[in-house]
Amino acid sequence: MDFSRQKRMLQYFWIDKIGNVLFRLSWHLVHAIIYFCYFMMAMVHGLESHLISRGLLRKYKYLHISKINYLAIVIESEEACRTSNVIQLLQWVAALGINHICLYDNEGLLKKSKDVILDKFDGAILFQDTHENNMLLDQPCMTLEFVSFSDGKEAVARAANVLLMKYIKSGAAASNLGEQIFSESEMSEALKTVGSGGPEPDLLLIYGPARCHLGFPAWRIRYTEIQHMGPLKSMKYGSLIKALYRYTTVRQNYGK
Amino acid sequence: MLFSLHFSPPPVIAPLPFKPLSHVPHHHHHTLNMLPSTHVLKPPLCSTMEHFTLNHHGKGGEEEEEEVDQTLPLGLRREAMPRHVAVIMDGNRRWARSRDLPVRSGYEAGARSLRTIVELCCKWGIKVLSVFAFSSDNWFRPKVEVELLMSLFERGMQEDTGIFLRENIRVSVIGDLAKLPEALQELILNLEETTKNNTHFQLIVAVSYSGQYDVVQACQRLALKAKHGLVEPGDIDASLIEQELETYCSEFPHPDLLIRTSGEFRISNFMLWQLAYTELFFAQSLWPDFGEAEFLKALLAFQQRRRRYGG
Repeated sequence: MDFSRQKRMLQYFWIDKIGNVLFRLSWHLVHAIIYFCYFMMAMVHGLESHLISRGLLRKYKYLHISKINYLAIVIESEEACRTSNVIQLLQWVAALGINHICLYDNEGLLKKSKDVILDKFDGAILFQDTHENNMLLDQPCMTLEFVSFSDGKEAVARAANVLLMKYIKSGAAASNLGEQIFSESEMSEALKTVGSGGPEPDLLLIYGPARCHLGFPAWRIRYTEIQHMGPLKSMKYGSLIKALYRYTTVRQNYGK
Repeated sequence: MLFSLHFSPPPVIAPLPFKPLSHVPHHHHHTLNMLPSTHVLKPPLCSTMEHFTLNHHGKGGEEEEEEVDQTLPLGLRREAMPRHVAVIMDGNRRWARSRDLPVRSGYEAGARSLRTIVELCCKWGIKVLSVFAFSSDNWFRPKVEVELLMSLFERGMQEDTGIFLRENIRVSVIGDLAKLPEALQELILNLEETTKNNTHFQLIVAVSYSGQYDVVQACQRLALKAKHGLVEPGDIDASLIEQELETYCSEFPHPDLLIRTSGEFRISNFMLWQLAYTELFFAQSLWPDFGEAEFLKALLAFQQRRRRYGG
């Protein structure tokens, strides 16, 4: 009996060993399959981007660029110093017929490079030089707006102070929380007063590793389409075309 | 993306329980550990797998018992879970239309989806879930549809009060509640009061809400405080505005992850201020179809993407 028990135990021992080896093989096989799938997806993506760039995919040949009145580009601050990449990107966008662009990075590095960037585009003007948003969109030449974190939450705080001073000076009698003192349109006007009242972009492209808009002026992106493009250093013309094309096919209900 | 894949070391299976033979070398005891290493695989397309542990309590040798989190699916790390998840629950009407069902069915299916996600959040250690139930713009929908939604909110709050109390869930409702029917306003106040001391999980429901409205009402509160001498004019800064936003009712007012369903790539006036550094995940499925598998995908994507904050 002892012998049969020992025999059984030996069997269990070998089953366990073989099972362990098989499990490890399965584990590696699953990893390899997933790795292969992602490899293929990356190849397909790269090939598609190349074909789009060459104009070989019919779907992307004719973009209804007129749907994009105002384009915003968010660049992560670590990559915002890659001025040559930024200029290349702007050249692509301009070549496609988009003339009104807002450039954002959190730390304001693009603001520091604005003269270098503007020099590369004949006739391009700074957004601040125009007066009203409707005049901006009528400008035939390229307009570039440079914004940073100070044009976001900090600008809202400055605008709130403007509204507050107006409210106190008006001597209004509202004393409970339920009454409306300010409206959203008044806030929009106050933001223009403090120099942060740009138009709402139709499309916002994010270049960076994280899929977030990094503090772009929130007041202006209520209904903005947001597309994550990956790192700036890996930017591809085909990916840009694809993002713009996708935007032109979108239909918004605006909540209705 | 491709070359960030790293193979986790394969797990080691625990030996079956048996006495070691005298002539066979003694083996160390191991546990089957399905927890991932620091390098996580890209999310598989399948849904969850439970962790399990085999412990060997045999004689001799050391006994290793690792504590395995049995509530987290494969690949998720508890220390990297978002504390606050926000969801734009889009696609209920499209879901109903695609099935030739009335719009009501879409919203009811959406409510079931919400219950599932709340349950998963509680189980997986997410502390706050904010959901965009009804925006300021939705008031422009057909009156019949708006009344239907109001009645669904009322019914949902009444029916689920027991669950909120039992599961220690705090419910907060944000938005311009003055526009809601009075009965619903009263129900909301009662529910908030009844659950205000619950601490396990917070559900924030945004009704009649817009991000711009939230900022404006925060500025209004500050204006009233200034009028009463509590705040100096000119002292208003981003931090003070932050404290007056409606999401300040939460321990974690800023979402770490925003999920929007139905394949739309925008935030539609939801928590504009709060989403500055929030990871955005746009899911293709419609909200009633957004279940555990999709939620897991979003969380895995959140945990894997390199997250950087500005400044």
